[in-house]
Amino acid sequence: MKKLMVFGVLVTLLLTAGLGFAQTKVAVSEWQIPFLNCLTGPLASHGSMYQWSTNRAAADINNAGGIAGKPVQVIGVDTANDPQKGTVEMARIVKESLVSLGPVPEPVIMAAMPIAVENQMLSITATTSYEYASKFFPWTVAWFPPYPKRFPPLAKAWAEQFSDMKQVIQFVEPFGPWPMMAEAHVAGLKEAGANVLKPIEVPTDAVTFGPLVVKALEQKPDGIIFACNAEKIAKMIKELKSRGWKKMDHILVFSSGDDAPLYTVGGDDINGIQVYNYVNPDIDSPRWNAFKTAFMKDHNGMTPFSLSTNYYDALFMIKEAIEKTGVAGDPSKLKEERKKIADYCANVKNFQGLMFSWDMKNGEPTNKPLFIFEIQGGKKKLVKEIKLKG
Amino acid sequence: MPLPLYYFLSITAVNILMSWALYLPYRMAHLHFLVVANMAISGYTAAFMVLSLQLPFWLALLTGFLLGAIIGFVVAQFIGDAPTFAVVIVGFTFIYITRTVIENTEAVGGTMGLFGLPNIGGDPAVHRWTILAILYGLVLLVGFLIHRFDHSQLGRSASAAFIDRDLTTSLGIDIKKLGILLQTFSCMLAGGCGVLYGFIYKSFHLDYFTFHVVGILMTIIFVGGYKTLWGTVLAAPILYGGPLLFPPEIASWRIVIYGALLIFVLVLKPEGFITTRFVYRVEALLSRKGTKQSLSTNSQEDV
Repeated sequence: MKKLMVFGVLVTLLLTAGLGFAQTKVAVSEWQIPFLNCLTGPLASHGSMYQWSTNRAAADINNAGGIAGKPVQVIGVDTANDPQKGTVEMARIVKESLVSLGPVPEPVIMAAMPIAVENQMLSITATTSYEYASKFFPWTVAWFPPYPKRFPPLAKAWAEQFSDMKQVIQFVEPFGPWPMMAEAHVAGLKEAGANVLKPIEVPTDAVTFGPLVVKALEQKPDGIIFACNAEKIAKMIKELKSRGWKKMDHILVFSSGDDAPLYTVGGDDINGIQVYNYVNPDIDSPRWNAFKTAFMKDHNGMTPFSLSTNYYDALFMIKEAIEKTGVAGDPSKLKEERKKIADYCANVKNFQGLMFSWDMKNGEPTNKPLFIFEIQGGKKKLVKEIKLKG
Repeated sequence: MPLPLYYFLSITAVNILMSWALYLPYRMAHLHFLVVANMAISGYTAAFMVLSLQLPFWLALLTGFLLGAIIGFVVAQFIGDAPTFAVVIVGFTFIYITRTVIENTEAVGGTMGLFGLPNIGGDPAVHRWTILAILYGLVLLVGFLIHRFDHSQLGRSASAAFIDRDLTTSLGIDIKKLGILLQTFSCMLAGGCGVLYGFIYKSFHLDYFTFHVVGILMTIIFVGGYKTLWGTVLAAPILYGGPLLFPPEIASWRIVIYGALLIFVLVLKPEGFITTRFVYRVEALLSRKGTKQSLSTNSQEDV
C-alpha cells in the first residue's frame, strides 16, 4: 500500500510537471535580443568579432530548434564607442526587451548600464572585468572572476617556469582596468620569488616606443609582462629585439593584448613569446572545432582571439535561462520574466560553454580556467592551463 | 517622460551649453579647449564630494561652477590676450594633464572611473526632471546672457578683436580684460556642465572627456554657425539626434557624414548655416512685425 502511494505521488508530480511545461506557451514568434555593441569607431574590429560570434550562436541555436521552439535573432545596436549614443540606445532597449547583450566597451557600460539596472533588465556585459560588471549586479553577470582571484595564480605559474627569472618589469597602459590587472600580476610574481621592478607607463597616445624600452632595460629586467594595447606591444617587442633581447619566452602578453595587431604588426618578431587568455584553440570538441573552422574561414585564417567566444556563450546562457525557467516572452509579465532570467544566469551551474563548463555564484564565475601559450609562426602552443578555484 | 527622450534632451542641452562655452571665447578668436578639461575637473570633484564626502548634490554643483570659474580665471591671466594658436595649445595641454592626474588619482577611481552616483531627490523620476530643469534653465539663462552680450558694446569689441587685435587695442579696448571675462565665464559654464554630464550617466569615466567631445563641439559650432549663438541651438539637436534616427546601414557612416558635412560647410558656407546676417534679418522682421502690431493697437486705441 505504501509503495502504491509513493508511486501515485510520483506519477502525479511527473504529470503536473509535464503539464506545467507543456502549458508554458511561448508568446513570441521570434526572440529578439538586442546587442549594444561598438560596430563603428575605434573598437569596431572587436565589435565586429563579438557580433560575428553572437550571430554564429544564433545560427547554431536556430539550427537546433531555436529557444523554446522559436527562432532567435540578435539585433546589433551600434554605440560607436560613444556614451552619448549608448545611453539613448539602452533607453530604447529597456522599454520592451526581455534581456540584452552588451554594452561594449567600458565607457558605454558605465553610462548605459545604470539604465538597465534602474529598469531591472539583465544585460550581459561579457567582455568586461568583474570589477566593472559587479557594480551593476544583479542586472548583469561577470564573465571573469575578480582580479585578485585570477591573476596572481597566473603570474605565479608563468614566472615559475623560469628559474633564471629574478627581476620582472611591466609595461602598463593607463586604460580602463589594465593598471589593476597589472597590479594583480604583482602578487603572483612576488609569490614566485621574483623582484618586481618599477613599471613603465605606456601613454595611450604613444607613437614611439624606443625610449620606453630603453627606460625599462635600464632596470635590467629578465622578465617582461605587457599590459597594453596589442599594436603597441608588437612595436615594443620589435624594439626589445633590436636592442638585443633574446629570451622571448620571458615575455608575457596579457589577455587583451592577444589581438590581431599583435600578430600582424609583430610578425616573426613575436615568435617564442608567451600570452595568456581564456580561449584555448587546441581544445578538441565537435562544437569548438566547428566554431573555430567557421571563425578562421571568415577571419583570413586567424584562430579565434581572446574574448571571441564570450558573446557566443552569453547567448546560449540566455537560451538556457529562458528554457529552464519557463519564460514565455509575455509582455504583460516582462518584469517577472526579466528577474527569472537574471536570477538563473547569476547562479547557473555546470553551464556548457563553447570550450568548457563553469558555475556561477551570485553573478561571479567560480571555476573558469586560464591558459598560457607560446606563439610560434602566428600559432599558439599550449604551455599551461591554470584552473582557478571557486 | 520616455527614457530615450530624456537622454536626448539632456545630452542635447549639455551639447548646447558646452558649444556656447566654446563659442564665447571664439567670439574673439580664442579656441578655448580648456573647457573640456574643466568639465572633467569639476565633474570628478563633484562626484568625489557626493560619493566620498557624502555632501549634497547642490553643493557639489555649485562647487563645480566655482571651480571651473577659478581655473578659467587663473589660466586667463596668462592667455587672456594670447593668439589663437597659443590658446589651443594650452587647452589641449590641460586636457592631457587633467587625464593624467585623474588616471593616477585613486580617490576618483583612476582609470576605472566612478560608479553609482545617486539619484537627485532619491528617486529616478525626480532625478530626471531636476536634471532637465537645471539644464534647460541654464540654456535659457546663458542664452539670454549671450544674446545680451552679442548686442552689447562688449560683443562688438569681441567682434572687432576677432578681425584685428591691433586695431581693436588702438580703439582703447582692453583685449586682455575681455579675454579674461569670456574665458572665465566659459570655464564656469563648462564646470557646471561637467557635473551635470556625470549625473546624467550616474558615473564618470575619463573617456567621457576625450578629444571626441572637442570634435563634437567643433562640428556643432562650425556647422551651425560660429558667429551667432543660434547656430548651436540648431546644430546640437540635429547633429546628435539625426544619427540616432539613421538606419544601421547608414549609421556606420556617421563619422564620414560628419566630416563631409563639416568640409561642405567650411567650403560653401564658411560662417555656418546660421549667419549673423540671417539673424539680423530675422530680428528686423520680428521687430517690424512688433512695431506694426503696436502701431495698429495704438491706432485702434486712438479710434
